[in-house]
Amino acid sequence: MTTLQRLLLASAMALGPVATGAQAADLVVGFTLDADTLDPANHRKRETETIIRNLYDGLLTRDANMVVVPEIAESMTQVSPTVYDFKIRPGIKFHDGTAMTAEDVKFTLDRVTVENAMEGVTSPRQSLMGPVASVEVVGDDTVRITLKEPWPILPAMLPNQQIVSKAFVEARGSEGIATAENGTGPFKLVEWRKGESVILERFADYYGGAADIPPVGPACVDRVIFKIIPESASRVAALLAGDVHIINELPAFSIAQVNANTGTHVMTVNGTRSFFVALNLEGEYFDDPLVRQAAAHAIDKNLLIDKILGGNAAPINGILSPDAFGASELPSYGYDPELAKKLLADAGFPNGIDIVMDTEGAFKDTAEAIASLLTKAGIRTTVAVGESAQLTAKWRVQGKAPKTGDMYFSSWGNGSLDPFDIFTPTHRTNDRGNSAGYANPAVDALLDAAATELDVAKRAGMYREAELLINADLPYLYLWVPQDIYGVSDRVSGWQPSADSRINLHDACLK
Amino acid sequence: MSLGKLIERLLQLVPVLLGVTLIVFVMMALTPGDPVQIMIGDQTITPEQEEALRRGLGLDRPIVERFFVFLGNAAQGDFGQSFYHRRPVADVISERLPATIELSLVALIVALVTAIPLGVLAAIRKNSIFDKLATVGSLLGVSLPGFWFGILLIMLFAVQWHILPVSGRIGYASEVPTITGFLLIDTLLHGNLPAFWDAVKHLILPAVTLGLPMTAILMRVTRTSMLEVLRQDYVTFADAKGLSRRRVLFRHALKNALIPTVSVAAIETGSLLGGNMIVETVFGWPGLGRLVVESIFLRNYPLVQAAVLLYAVIYVGLNFFADILYTILNPRVKL
Repeated sequence: MTTLQRLLLASAMALGPVATGAQAADLVVGFTLDADTLDPANHRKRETETIIRNLYDGLLTRDANMVVVPEIAESMTQVSPTVYDFKIRPGIKFHDGTAMTAEDVKFTLDRVTVENAMEGVTSPRQSLMGPVASVEVVGDDTVRITLKEPWPILPAMLPNQQIVSKAFVEARGSEGIATAENGTGPFKLVEWRKGESVILERFADYYGGAADIPPVGPACVDRVIFKIIPESASRVAALLAGDVHIINELPAFSIAQVNANTGTHVMTVNGTRSFFVALNLEGEYFDDPLVRQAAAHAIDKNLLIDKILGGNAAPINGILSPDAFGASELPSYGYDPELAKKLLADAGFPNGIDIVMDTEGAFKDTAEAIASLLTKAGIRTTVAVGESAQLTAKWRVQGKAPKTGDMYFSSWGNGSLDPFDIFTPTHRTNDRGNSAGYANPAVDALLDAAATELDVAKRAGMYREAELLINADLPYLYLWVPQDIYGVSDRVSGWQPSADSRINLHDACLK
Repeated sequence: MSLGKLIERLLQLVPVLLGVTLIVFVMMALTPGDPVQIMIGDQTITPEQEEALRRGLGLDRPIVERFFVFLGNAAQGDFGQSFYHRRPVADVISERLPATIELSLVALIVALVTAIPLGVLAAIRKNSIFDKLATVGSLLGVSLPGFWFGILLIMLFAVQWHILPVSGRIGYASEVPTITGFLLIDTLLHGNLPAFWDAVKHLILPAVTLGLPMTAILMRVTRTSMLEVLRQDYVTFADAKGLSRRRVLFRHALKNALIPTVSVAAIETGSLLGGNMIVETVFGWPGLGRLVVESIFLRNYPLVQAAVLLYAVIYVGLNFFADILYTILNPRVKL
């Protein structure tokens, strides 16, 4: 190499970071699950959405800090408590080169919200759109969503719906678009090798994505490959071997290994899933508030977070994650096994009690650690491992059957970070996720009122009040919200994990 | 075997498959867990929306009606739509089946090629160090759990030495248009040798992991039957006649000793096809086993029913094949 060549190369390298999108590179993501379908309206899985959202954009999206910002919409205006207007950005193209219009947006939202809209079938995502009454095109470039009743979390839920092309869907049908795509996202589909990999390439005519999330423009990398590796140990191995550049769901016990390895590091982001132990309020022991308090004082949350989760979780004293809307400081039941024993004795169990804690196989270790702490305080706990579907049927009876069992170590996700999505199902009387069998009319009233309250401060106040009530009643032992943990190659830059588990690869570059 | 016998045997399969269908259907229906509740997951939903979802999946109809509808449609080759993939189950399964068959066949070949020579050697050198090592080795082979052995191989060959890939069937850079679905064949049909080699490299670790327990079993079977055959009078006679040792072993003894090996191999192939979920998970192999297990947890009834039926057909077919093979290898046996 001559000196001139060296100089040229050096200057080209120095210019590299400025000339984004110019690097020839394939970014490979080691991912837990394959997409079920590529149809944005026809699935119910987070992993499927993660893949789809690199192909399709939505009206709104979230930045890395979970703030909702416009994406395909240029702006959003709330005309009245039940009417929202979305002005559509001009110049957006689908991957086949056709222009995206307000009609496509209406078609997409109708497909999700109108009964039987998908060739006689109702979209499984209908419930994610709340009480939508109608979607209309107003003028050339505005889409109006009218609700049957106020539903303040509409903007928080819209990032989960991706805009499809009306012409494409009508031409291919629902079955056709399950395996083909025509989105407006930063990448287009090259090949989907089912169960193995989804291969995407940069869409050169991309409008740039959300104006509030820089950099705006085409994606940085040439190709993105989602390589499906369900087994955690193999995913870690693939990262260490350099086969992949980003892996999701890195187990806490592999953090040290990934950090110690040359060329890889760990990235974390606050998750949205709250973990808790449901106490059967209709059961033999936990109908007594003293026994519930005893259990709360028996658990050393910080110790468990430290030892089992590698410190990667935030403790909670109510159902809400510290990042959720309406979350606030709550009284904490400190770790005090002696007090727990005393409370048990006061409740009439001086010799302690024998109980069983149900949990899924994946959480057996954590459940056993919790059980050993409870046992030390006189609540002698045996862990019984069951299968998810079976435990759901046993614990979430929705008042349709008597509840059996003592304790259930479980969790509930809250991707929208809005209490409506987690507080209501887990605490409203006989609601879907109310595995404790909790029934408090005061909490019900607060949750119902908050669901339609538009005044933000008032709404937050209602959730605060409800949190204080459940904190005192203790239908659950509220434990923690773990972080999402990713293993990342040092070659990756510009990428940030997001709390809604979305892996947005538009901004990612590869050195 | 006469044609009549063959048809008779084939007709016997019909009640078996009907029985399997009924059992799977009833078992799935009786297992606790509501597919609709599982699908909704951690989301709020109104009762009306939940009902619409249930109707969309066809789960609002009584179970007896669902069974007969399933049976009627299945007879015409329509197994319904997968709850999650929202496409015909037959399509979803046929995308994944070739990967499973390819892996199983290669594992079978690996097992046969290593087990038979090792078994024969262990038999003719009975009680030698080699024989003892082979015994210990086969014990290990059966006992080592696939997920552990697989990860161990990955750590050595992929992470440590960078010789083989961690997971998948073929590198994403290799482009192979599907003809048969079997990558080893498709790459050769396209004359794409680098892709063929890539596919081979991806196959080695999973095939060895999957084939190991079978190798161990087949080696034991070969050794035992070889020892038995070597004790037979006709072998002693052949020896006494002054035939070379090699001729006695391979022409006279091995041919007979292989009969049990072959039938065990045919039946074990069924377990290979059904039992490779763990290997498929560890190596990110896009096969059917992984899909079926995922589907069981999600109560994806149509997919599970169709896949189990398919497994039953394959299993029964392999048994049938083993029987026929047995009569060919051992003319004394008649079906």
